[in-house]
Amino acid sequence: MDLWAVVPEMILAGLALALVPVAGWARGRWRVTPGVVALLGLVAAAAVTVPMLNVAPKEAFCGTYAVDPFRSFYQLVIEAGAAITILILQSHFRGTEQEPQAPIAVLFATVGAMGLVAATDLGLIVLFLQMVSFPSYLLVALVRSDKRAQEAALKYFIYGAAALAVMAYGLTFLFGLTGSLSLRAIGAGLAGVDAAWIAFALGLILIGYGFEMTLVPFHMWAPDAFQGASAPVSGFVSVVPKVAAFAGLMRLLMEAMPGGLSNWPIVLSAIAAVTMTFGNLVALRQRSLKRLLAYSSIAQAGYILMAVAVAERAADALPAVGYYLAAYLLMNLAAFAVVAQVERWFGSDGFEAVRGLFRYAPWPAAALTLALLSLAGIPPLAGFAGKVFLLIAAIDGGLAWLAVIAAVNMAFALYYYVAIIAEMYFRQPSRTVDVARGLGYAWAIGLCTFGTIATGIAPRIVLDIAQVGSRLLH
Amino acid sequence: MLNVAIFLPLLTGLVVLTLPRNRPGLVRRIALTGAVLTFLVAIVLWAGFDPNGGALQWRTTVPWIPIGASYDVAINGLSLALILLTAVLMTVVMIFVLHEHDRAQAHAFLFLLLATGLIGLFAAQDLLLFYLFFEVGLVPMYFIIGIWGGEQRHYAALKFFLYTRAGSLAMLLGFLGLYLSMRPHSFSLPAIIAAQPLAQVPATAALVFFALLIGFGVKLPTIPLHNWLPDAHVEAPTEGSVVLAGLQLKMGAYGLVAVLLPIMPETVARFGWLLVVLALVSLLYGALAALAQSDMKRLIAYTSVNHMAYVMLGIAVAAMAGSDAARQLAVSGASVQMVSHGLLTGGMFLMVGMLQHRAGTREISRFGGLIGRMPLFSGLFALLAFGSFGLPGLSGFIAEFQVIGAALQLSVWIAAVTVLGLILATAVYLRLTAGVLMGRAAPDLDKLSWLMPHEIWPVAIVAALSVLIGIFPAMLIAALDGTVRVVAH
Repeated sequence: MDLWAVVPEMILAGLALALVPVAGWARGRWRVTPGVVALLGLVAAAAVTVPMLNVAPKEAFCGTYAVDPFRSFYQLVIEAGAAITILILQSHFRGTEQEPQAPIAVLFATVGAMGLVAATDLGLIVLFLQMVSFPSYLLVALVRSDKRAQEAALKYFIYGAAALAVMAYGLTFLFGLTGSLSLRAIGAGLAGVDAAWIAFALGLILIGYGFEMTLVPFHMWAPDAFQGASAPVSGFVSVVPKVAAFAGLMRLLMEAMPGGLSNWPIVLSAIAAVTMTFGNLVALRQRSLKRLLAYSSIAQAGYILMAVAVAERAADALPAVGYYLAAYLLMNLAAFAVVAQVERWFGSDGFEAVRGLFRYAPWPAAALTLALLSLAGIPPLAGFAGKVFLLIAAIDGGLAWLAVIAAVNMAFALYYYVAIIAEMYFRQPSRTVDVARGLGYAWAIGLCTFGTIATGIAPRIVLDIAQVGSRLLH
Repeated sequence: MLNVAIFLPLLTGLVVLTLPRNRPGLVRRIALTGAVLTFLVAIVLWAGFDPNGGALQWRTTVPWIPIGASYDVAINGLSLALILLTAVLMTVVMIFVLHEHDRAQAHAFLFLLLATGLIGLFAAQDLLLFYLFFEVGLVPMYFIIGIWGGEQRHYAALKFFLYTRAGSLAMLLGFLGLYLSMRPHSFSLPAIIAAQPLAQVPATAALVFFALLIGFGVKLPTIPLHNWLPDAHVEAPTEGSVVLAGLQLKMGAYGLVAVLLPIMPETVARFGWLLVVLALVSLLYGALAALAQSDMKRLIAYTSVNHMAYVMLGIAVAAMAGSDAARQLAVSGASVQMVSHGLLTGGMFLMVGMLQHRAGTREISRFGGLIGRMPLFSGLFALLAFGSFGLPGLSGFIAEFQVIGAALQLSVWIAAVTVLGLILATAVYLRLTAGVLMGRAAPDLDKLSWLMPHEIWPVAIVAALSVLIGIFPAMLIAALDGTVRVVAH
């Protein structure tokens, strides 16, 4: 048995199961317990994951589960995302019945995401994809009295169930063509197979991953789900499933379809161009912060996919994706944390909710500004270094045309990020509130903002770790 | 020491942010102290600078990102001149706003952050670092225009930001193209200049050339990328216009002289006539558009298009001229023009700001006869205006004379058109001076108060420096000499 290889997953899964009854019983002050325990568990899991970054790549559990630096790196990112989300959730649902429930769903989704990153077996991939998605549906539907949240959850669920079923169907083709469930055996077996079948399978698989990664045209659920869900949940859904799906897709493509089989680099670069352009164009017209951030995260997925497309051709592509996903996590969660805080004050996420925010809440306003500028790629923030790495990878991999499209996109994306900044700084507040504070918000925003600045000024550390984390099994 | 000059303003800005909110006076004094100290550090840099060695001096190199980017700063003569200019204009601005108390902390922080970006840009010897400081020097201006600007400030700030961003992303792609053409990949500017990686691949070189031209051309600005300029200058608060015209336009100019020309002299020469045409059209258009303005601020904004065209003309001539002497003359003229325009136009914006503050309007027709009411103001105003159209004895003359002299060696026609532009510019400033200072005083301007010390000092400083350069041009030209010879090589 290679049980040592799944200690982080076991810690979190065990805690999640143990906390279910606790959440049912917790009353009053004790409602905070599951959140605190989940946070401690995530810290412990991360502490176990860090040393595994240096493990030589190998397989565990009869070749179904990878133990390589790649998996450890993305698991770390996912754990960080979950921990920050729980911090925000604790403040956001303080004193409500959702307070003890939310962390458990986050934990379940986190385990699923961590598994997806490591799975090298088609069956496990399907299983873990569902395990990421189901708790996410629940999280969106968390506030049962909120009609819009229910509608959003339903949309998310129906869309997700269909997309994942189609993807499972696509995976069966890989099995049928090669007679194996293992990614590496499939990679070897697909060599002489009719290209049309592989293309067909790839198309179906991309529907499932495209759903999780919010790639156009499988993004339709995202704006509605993000808007309907409470802001911390939107933040979580915009980060953790996306990170897991990117890592899972890269593993699938590089292990099961090596050598650009079925022209996946060209397919992905086309999808990347469409995704970033569409996301940005639609974001220009949004007047709801969560909806705007949803389209922004669609565009960001397009930028990242640009480097995934050259994953095999450019040596610096995988570290670039790793770095960008880590940076994206920090800046996106910082933005959602501030939006969550504003949402709790006003019960609204329209632009008017942040109008004149600078006047009465200068620190959250500054944090949101930095997060948005980072998403727009302004130096010296993390999003800038990340975009440089992605662009270098794309040009190096022979996709100079895509890099130009991306640069044009980044130029006009600034418009909608700056529209929010202008609301906060250049206008008088229409109303002011007695600013409600929360320790969880403050910590989450502080950590993310610090991380955004620090990894932007000194990208070296995270880039080095991402470099280590770009070693896959094969 | 160079690192101190770069980060001292930022450090001061961070200190200012920690001060209590109800002490705007203290904030202003600390910010001024920071600016003055930065100026003193710049003087130290100058004292330790050897003008004869064309090599980079005061160099610091620290590995930054393990992909071939490093924190690499150093100065040559041009950098030194522009760093001194930055320190002077920052001090001037800080004196000017000494009594402005509206959100003083944020205001001071943004200006100081901007100073760090500018000084860092002029010192950066690594293209990625150059890009970083380029943006750091621009983003604060968006907030300055948007928060403290005039009525159309939202529109102007957004337009400024989007234009600049589009330009800088084009520049970034150009830098990445250069980076990937180096073996091993490197962002190091001296290494790229030494290796000339694109000399053998004219197609790629042309793409990179146009990417960089767009990036620097937006900031310069040149026709047809100048559209953001009038709005941004007019809507910005006075101190913002000073920095915008005096310093931020130099980012584009510096990029042309210190980056574009040295890394691809052949390509610049190949497209030299395009640059000449752009420069001449900008020169005439800037002057003609200024001639048509009734708003003083808008008028001065358009003259910037005219003045900065000399820089582009300078590099075009430097790339195409046959003799070494002509090339050096052109680069020298372009460089002096940056400093001169920074001082003169910065001063002009300050003076217009004072008038607007007193009369609440900037229309030339509303003023008149100030020479009898505000003699000191009128004297300084006339001095700066005359300097701006190139009156001998002031810095503008030295710069434009050198560029025209160099252009003459390339073609008489270029020089002829340039002189025509010079005549138009003279008309612009004479019309402005006559309209404001002479004639019959408007009756409602009786209440115009005398200048305050915090208004006199800033203008006096820039005017004195401009006269100093005009009388002893050798002082500046000597500092620039080493750089000029290297760039024009």
